[in-house]
Amino acid sequence: MNYFTVDLLTPEKVVARGIPAESLLIPTVRGQINILPHHTHLINRLSTGVLSIFGGADDPDRHFSVTYGICKVLEDKIIIMSHTSEEQSEISLERAEQALENAEKHLSSGEALSDQEIQKFQLKVERAKLRIQLSKQ
Amino acid sequence: MANIKDLKKKIKSTKGTLKITSAMKLVSAAKLAKAQQAIVSSRPYANELETTIKTISALVENYTHEYLEEKDSNHEVLLVISSNKGLCGGYNSLLAKEVRKYLANTDKDVKVYFIGKKVREVIQKEVNFGKDYQFEKSDPSFLELEGVGKELAQMFKSGEVGTVKVAYNQFNTAISFTPMVKQLLPISMNVEEKMELEEKFPFDFKYEPAPSEILNTLIPETFSTTLYTCLLDGVAAEHGSRMAAMDNAVTNCKEAIRAQTLKMNKLRQAAITTELIEVVSGAESLNG
Repeated sequence: MNYFTVDLLTPEKVVARGIPAESLLIPTVRGQINILPHHTHLINRLSTGVLSIFGGADDPDRHFSVTYGICKVLEDKIIIMSHTSEEQSEISLERAEQALENAEKHLSSGEALSDQEIQKFQLKVERAKLRIQLSKQ
Repeated sequence: MANIKDLKKKIKSTKGTLKITSAMKLVSAAKLAKAQQAIVSSRPYANELETTIKTISALVENYTHEYLEEKDSNHEVLLVISSNKGLCGGYNSLLAKEVRKYLANTDKDVKVYFIGKKVREVIQKEVNFGKDYQFEKSDPSFLELEGVGKELAQMFKSGEVGTVKVAYNQFNTAISFTPMVKQLLPISMNVEEKMELEEKFPFDFKYEPAPSEILNTLIPETFSTTLYTCLLDGVAAEHGSRMAAMDNAVTNCKEAIRAQTLKMNKLRQAAITTELIEVVSGAESLNG
């Protein structure tokens, strides 16, 4: 099988390094894309969503949440740089639900929020929903 | 000649110092573990981001961003990241030395900004002092530092200064660090680097969205990430350096206590011997 490797980096930590994969689903700003071995060289912006790495017969499939960032596809090496990222198994459903509740409360409470704050809470809602969805899968 | 009482006092106080230094060593070791983790895991991201934007900007023609432009201003800002606390070996003095060396060798008009008070206290009077940043906690958060970054970037954008540099201690291992001065703005590449990248990537990438759009968001981010990495480096180096310094202090304390105890015992024995001789010779003279 033709394999390539995936690195997943965030400013806080190296989430994963050199995961072998034979197929990869990346959420980008223009919709989800599928990467197979020998893909053309690509630099794309990520959108908030689920990144799925399919390991094929030998390696397990792994799912990660990613947010704002970019991905770089080179011949046999794919580098994902995301602001935040968590593996499915690491996500705490309880915490995600709590975060969703908090953020929604702020948005609907009628507080005088600045545009920046509204955007911040909307992004929080988006991320929390993604994590809840991913951990329930 | 010291007497026994004085020596006893001295030993007691050295023991107190030993307790303090060993406690500080333990605290630093714990903090170092955390700081080291932070820097080691954030470096790959920062490096990768920097390479990526360099690659894209080398490959994409006719793209300019205000952070990439070379300006012909003779003014420069140097941000010095030092610590707020002392007792950390050569951490601050080596950095101050590096800054002095840099200032002596540059022909630019450098204004110096400070984070952390220790180096500031040493060199403030001899440099063109710009501003001092203070934060609530000793280690500023990413957001706080981003504010500092924005201020510096604004000065660069408006053409007030031609370059922005940062002086900090780069963390190597727990016991070693390198003081260095790094250029933040403009994000520049020398010709060799560009040639190398063009050779490595003879093809262009496929971009989505347009490369200029990607660069527009990536370049400011790279700037703040790089600045933050410098800070993390500094924090880790500080704890490492303090741990090493305290380790030395602990060894020295133990050695001092050993030497003083030996001296005290010798004195005590001498005193006992003298007393015995006095008693014995007194008895002899009575018998005689």
